[in-house]
Amino acid sequence: MRFRVERDVLAEAVAWTARSLPSRPPVPVLAGLLVEADKTGLTLSGFDYEVSAQVRVDAQVEEPGRALVSGRLLADISRSLPPQPVSVTTEGPKVLLVCGSARFALLTLPVDEYPTLPELPHVTGTLPSGLLATAVAQVAVAAGRDDTLPVLTGIRVEIEGDTVTLAATDRYRLAVRELTWHPEQPGLSAVSLVPARTLADTAKALTGIETVSIALSTGTAGEGLMGFEGQGRRTTTRLLEGEFPKYRALLPSESSAVATVDTAVLVEAVKRVSLVAERNTPVRLTFAAEELQLDAGTGEEAQASESLPCTLDGEPLTIAFNPHFLLDGLSAIDAEVTRFSFTAATKPAVITAGGTGEAAGPAPYRYLLMPVRLSG
Amino acid sequence: MALSVWEHLVGQDRAVVLLQQATRAAAEIVAGTGPGAAMTHAWVITGPPGSGRTTAAEAFAAALQCPAGGCGTCHSCTTARDRTHADVEVVRPVGMHHRVDHMRELVRRAALSPAGGRWQVVVIEDADRMEGTSQDWRAANALLKAIEEPTPRTVWVLCAPSLEDVLPTIRSRCRHIGLATPPVAAVADVLVRRDGIDPTMAAFAARAAQSHIGRARRLATDEGARLRRAEVLRIPTHLSGVGPCLTAAANVVEAAQEEAATVTGPLDAAETAELARALGQGSSRGLDGRGRAQLKDLEKDQKRRATRIQRDVLDLALLDLLGFYRDVLAVQLGAQVELVNTDVERDVRAVARASTPERTLQRIDSVTACREQIAGNVAALLAVEALTVTLR
Repeated sequence: MRFRVERDVLAEAVAWTARSLPSRPPVPVLAGLLVEADKTGLTLSGFDYEVSAQVRVDAQVEEPGRALVSGRLLADISRSLPPQPVSVTTEGPKVLLVCGSARFALLTLPVDEYPTLPELPHVTGTLPSGLLATAVAQVAVAAGRDDTLPVLTGIRVEIEGDTVTLAATDRYRLAVRELTWHPEQPGLSAVSLVPARTLADTAKALTGIETVSIALSTGTAGEGLMGFEGQGRRTTTRLLEGEFPKYRALLPSESSAVATVDTAVLVEAVKRVSLVAERNTPVRLTFAAEELQLDAGTGEEAQASESLPCTLDGEPLTIAFNPHFLLDGLSAIDAEVTRFSFTAATKPAVITAGGTGEAAGPAPYRYLLMPVRLSG
Repeated sequence: MALSVWEHLVGQDRAVVLLQQATRAAAEIVAGTGPGAAMTHAWVITGPPGSGRTTAAEAFAAALQCPAGGCGTCHSCTTARDRTHADVEVVRPVGMHHRVDHMRELVRRAALSPAGGRWQVVVIEDADRMEGTSQDWRAANALLKAIEEPTPRTVWVLCAPSLEDVLPTIRSRCRHIGLATPPVAAVADVLVRRDGIDPTMAAFAARAAQSHIGRARRLATDEGARLRRAEVLRIPTHLSGVGPCLTAAANVVEAAQEEAATVTGPLDAAETAELARALGQGSSRGLDGRGRAQLKDLEKDQKRRATRIQRDVLDLALLDLLGFYRDVLAVQLGAQVELVNTDVERDVRAVARASTPERTLQRIDSVTACREQIAGNVAALLAVEALTVTLR
C-alpha cells in the first residue's frame, strides 16, 4: 500500500473515525483503524461491534492495499503533523508515515482478523443534521439505563410518509418528538428501535454534515441495522429487538387544566428547592391562578419552598414530581415558556413548549412525566 | 487445505448430525424459505472435560454465520475461529465464576440485532461456574431473563459438564446436545492428522489422557507434561511412610503449578503484547493512563485465570491418579477391559497384588473426595497431603 493525502484531510478523517473506536476493546484488533487504499481513494474504518464508522476521502493512491494500525496512536499522530502532504507506505510488518521531515513507523495489527463491517442498508430519506441531533437529544433523556431491560434503553423511530416520530421511555417519563423529513419514496412506513446512547452519539458526530441520509433495513426480524450517511462519512448502528411499550395510549388526548411558567425561572427554583429533597423524594408543585408554589422536604427533615408567577387555566392542583426527571424535561423542551397540561394530580402531566396552543395542533415535542404519589 | 468447522470435533458423529441439521434449518430461517423447525434459540452442550464442548459450540456458531454452513475458509469462518467475528461471542469466566455484572451487560448486548444479518451467537463456556449461591443464583438468573424472552436472532449456546450443572429453569428452555467420551483411537487419529504427531506417541497420549483431547495433545507434545504425569503415577508405589507421603503431595502440587505456568506464561505474554500494540505502544510515545489501566486490568484477569488453570491442572493430575486405581481395580476383579496406564502396568499389578478391591474402592473414594475439596477452595497442598496419607 502506498498513498499520499492532504494533512488536514487525513487528520479530520482519522479523528472522526477514531471517535467510534471502543475505549476498552473486547478484542485487540478492534482498537485498530482499518486503512484501505484503492484506485478511487482512501477509506478509514472503525468498529466496536455495535457501531461502525467509515470515511472516504480523496488520496493519490500509487499502490492499493490495506493495513490495520492502532487507532488512538494514528489519531494522536495525525493531529500533530506539520501542514504538509502525508505519504503512507506499508513496509513489512510496519506502516511508514512521512510528513515533511517527520517520520513515523507504526506497528500493524493482523488485518485478516479484522471483522467484516456491517453493510449499509438502502437509503430511505434525508434530513438536516442539526434537526436530527436536537430531536434525538430531546428524546434520549427519557431512555432507560437498566441493562436488564434492553427495550427501554432504546429510542423508537417510526417513519410514516414524511413524518418521523421518535419516542423513549424508562417507565417514569416518556419523551416524544415529531419531525418532518424527506423520504425517498412517498408512503414509506417503517419502525425500528435504536440504542439511545449510540443514536445520540451518532447524531452528535454527524453535526458537521449538512444533510444526513438515513438508511434503514426494512427486512424481517433480526436483520435490523440503521445507517447514516453524508459527505463521504457513514455509520451503522445495530438495532434493539423487542416490543416497545404502546406509548401512544399513554398520551392524554385532553386536559382539565393548563399552566404556563417561565422556563428559566422554574428551572432555577426547582434546583434550589430540590437541594433538600433526598434521593427519590419529590418536589411538590401547587398551581394556583397566578402563583406556583414549590416545596420539598417533610416535617421532620429540612424543608424548602419558593413561589413564582404562573398562569393557570383550570382548577388549582397540587402535584409532585421527581426533581431530576422534571429538570430533564424542562431542559429538553428548549423554550422560554413551559406549558404544563394536567388531567388529575395522580395522572401524568404533559410538558410542552409554551407557545404552542391547542389551536396550533399538537406540539412537536412532548414530555410526559409520571407524578409521585403524595402520602396523606 | 483448511478443515471445515466440523472436522475439529472428534468422535462426535451424532452431535455433528444434530448441529448440522440445526444449521440447515437456521439457513432456511435466514433465507425465509422454511420454518426451520430444527433450529432453536438456546442450546446446552454437555460432555466430559476434554470432549470438545467449546469446540462444538464454536463450530456451531461459525456454521451459523457461514453462507456455506461452516466451510472453514471464508472470512466469516476465519474470523469466528480467531474470535473477532462481530456476531460470535465466547464468554468464559474470568476468575472462578461468571460474574453477575458481566451477565447483565451480556443480556443487553444479546438484545441487539446481529451485525451481519444472520445470527448473533453467544457461547457461554463453563456455564456451571456461575456467580451466586444455591439460594440466589444471581448470574444465572440474569441470564435466565434473556433466555426466557428470546430475541429473534440471538442464539445462546451453554457449555457444561452435565445437564444437572445448569439451573433447571434455564435447562428447560434449551435443547440438549450430549457429547460422548471420544474413542481412544479417534483421539489418536486426530493427533496424527491435525498435529502431525507420531502414531505411537499419539496412541499412548490418547490412552493416558483418557480421551481428553487437549490433555492428550499436551502429553504428546510436551515432555515436561509426560514427566509430571509419571511423577503422579509413582505415588501409589512410593507411600512407605508419612514422610514420603508429604513429599509426594508437595511434588504433585508443585508439578501442577509448573504445568499451569507453562500454559499461562506464553498465553499471558502474547495477550499483553497484542493489547499493548493495539493501544499504540512500540512507537515514539509510551502508553497513556487509560492504556496502562487497561493493561493492568488484563494483568488482573490473567492472575485470576492462572488460579483457575492451576486448579484445573491439579484436577487433571488427580484424574491420572484415579485412572491408576481404576486399572488396579480392573486387574483385581479380572475385568476384560484395556488398561489406561499400560506404560506402568508393572506398578499397577504390584499394587493390585498388595491390596484388596475394597481397599482400592476406598482409595478411589479418597481421590474423589480430594477433588471435591479442591473444587471447594481447600488449600491445595493440605488437601493433597491428606489424600496421600489416606492412600498409604
